[in-house]
Amino acid sequence: MDLRAIVVGGGRVGFHVARLLDQQGHDVVVVEEDADRCDRIADSYFATVIEGNGARPDVLRQANPEQSDVLIGATGRDGVNLATCVLASRMNAEIRTVMRVSDGDAAAGYEEVVDTSFFPEGVGARAAVNAATAGDIQSIEALPGELEIAAIRVIDGSPLAGRSLADIALPRGSLVVSDADGDRIPGSDTVLEPGRTYLVAVEPEVAGEVRQLFHG
Amino acid sequence: MSGADQREPAAELGLLDATMIGMGAMIGAGIFVLTGLAADIAGPAAILVFALNGVVTAFTALSYAELASAIPKSGGGYAFVREVFADLPSFVMGWMLWFAYMIAGTLYALGFAPNFIELLHVYGVVAPPGEIGAVAIPLLPFAVSPQVGLAFLAVLLLVTVNLVSTAASGSLETVFTAVKVSILVVFVGFGLVSPMFAPAAEFQPLFPAGEGPVAILPAMGLTFIAFEGYDLITTVTEEVENPRQNIPRAIFISLAVTLVVYLAVVTVAIGTLGATGLAEAGEAGIAQAATAFMPTFPVIGQGGAVIVFGAVFSTLTALNAVVIASSRVGFAMGREGQLPACVGQIHHRFGTPFFAIVASSVVMLVAVVLPTQSAGNMSSLFFLLSFVVVNGAVIKLRRERPNMNRPYEIPFYPVPPVLGILLNLSLTGVLIWYLVRTDPLALALTAGWIALGVVGYAVAGSRSEPEPTGDDAEPVAED
Repeated sequence: MDLRAIVVGGGRVGFHVARLLDQQGHDVVVVEEDADRCDRIADSYFATVIEGNGARPDVLRQANPEQSDVLIGATGRDGVNLATCVLASRMNAEIRTVMRVSDGDAAAGYEEVVDTSFFPEGVGARAAVNAATAGDIQSIEALPGELEIAAIRVIDGSPLAGRSLADIALPRGSLVVSDADGDRIPGSDTVLEPGRTYLVAVEPEVAGEVRQLFHG
Repeated sequence: MSGADQREPAAELGLLDATMIGMGAMIGAGIFVLTGLAADIAGPAAILVFALNGVVTAFTALSYAELASAIPKSGGGYAFVREVFADLPSFVMGWMLWFAYMIAGTLYALGFAPNFIELLHVYGVVAPPGEIGAVAIPLLPFAVSPQVGLAFLAVLLLVTVNLVSTAASGSLETVFTAVKVSILVVFVGFGLVSPMFAPAAEFQPLFPAGEGPVAILPAMGLTFIAFEGYDLITTVTEEVENPRQNIPRAIFISLAVTLVVYLAVVTVAIGTLGATGLAEAGEAGIAQAATAFMPTFPVIGQGGAVIVFGAVFSTLTALNAVVIASSRVGFAMGREGQLPACVGQIHHRFGTPFFAIVASSVVMLVAVVLPTQSAGNMSSLFFLLSFVVVNGAVIKLRRERPNMNRPYEIPFYPVPPVLGILLNLSLTGVLIWYLVRTDPLALALTAGWIALGVVGYAVAGSRSEPEPTGDDAEPVAED
């Protein structure tokens, strides 16, 4: 299923969160207060933009949380992020809330209220360390270029489930690089079994199509 | 290894490509297939029919421009309505739009057949279109008219091409559209200098005797489909470069250029052949007009053959466009969970929305037994209804989401969408009133399709788990 996601905050973090979600084929709404940032997102054309403060209920409601699957509080202010997550949960008890935190140690405390938190500075630091140690081993979360290595599970009922690699044609710019156990390079007779996870190298342009093939 | 062969992802479309996609869908049906039928109903006032339809549709074009600039989703009118309305209304919208494209496919296939026979006739391969009898096919208990058989084959061919290939790219469409428009320019050029061109005589009286100006209304309903191309532009928005400027521009330019082309072609067709002659030629009206006045060229022979070829080519490419469009609407509905999930899946080998195309083709293939006029009527009726909903979506969004960023804003809001709703509804009313008297079959099929959808939706909904009712639900009381 494609997610319907609300990203509150269209700054450095929110912008890239929204763009990545869109590249994977999800529907994205961004809530952003700053008019210039709104124009920049509109120019990039990957999300519907609501101009206003996401911590205000009348503004957040325009992003339609009742019909959304996930909300990501991605502004630079913990208080605003927390408020939007709480508001969204009130408007839709089912919605998954993800909060950006500015202090990695405080994350656990917030997770009493929100579903998950993330700490962008921490992730950035890991990428920097990977780069600094000159790549003996690369985290699969951060590669140097545009290319992404993703661990993707074959969902039951996906169009690929139970088919061998020889049998399918993935879009150019994508490559299955591991078998289901993660310890072999796959061959053309490797079967994509439902429920198992495979490492797939993908270029951003085709990430959405690949995800749709694996997830149905 | 990722399998033996790989496919190219879709390319970026520029302003020209996007404009040509819109024009390509419009030019082909309206002008080649429906001019004769419009002349049959409205006489020389067919020229007014096309002009007024252009004006009516311009209001809806504004609504499409605003929605497409603000909502970056490839799914055409359905995607916008899905964003704004509750589950059932958005399902009905998608269901109607899906059918509108499928039946438009039938219309183009039915327009292709007589023009193709005319092309063969020009070169003396077969007898004139009216003189070919039904063909008995072995294994079938009944004889098939060659028109229906050809229409069936055309749909089958293009569906197969689209099932196995995603190469239906915008740049190819640009070439197709350029060819179509050039052929029509040749037609207009030779028509204007032809000694047969006598507008002073042929346009008098403008309205058919005894009926007056009212006669143009049903003709407007019938030919409304000639202006549906901008919905097609919005089914590919995510592939367009600099979309927030280019999509509104592509919508307006394609509409304006198409309108100019239509008016020039209809003026020449009526000015040479006369409304009566045009009406007698029916779906092959423009082709027959051309055969009447075009000079003889070396190699191609009779110059009218160029125009007849244009008609064959245009109807086929327009058919191709709506095969793609209908499957995209079906695919979008499948992904939203409003049609069975397999309709929203990409084929594991071909990378195409395989089931969506198959599902769309079934209706097209079955419907080729309908008269051309019924297919045109039904398609126009469904587009009119969908456009009412799209205009409504603009108003609902402005009221409920005032803070939404709208890179393109409709000028003089709320006048254009309100006028769009009123004019589209009036044409719908006129068309229904006309169908009650002349084509109850089309009306019954229209009502039947909507009823089928609503019943199917209710049955599917009651079998699956009860879902949260979405934005229609009252907010739960908080303690």
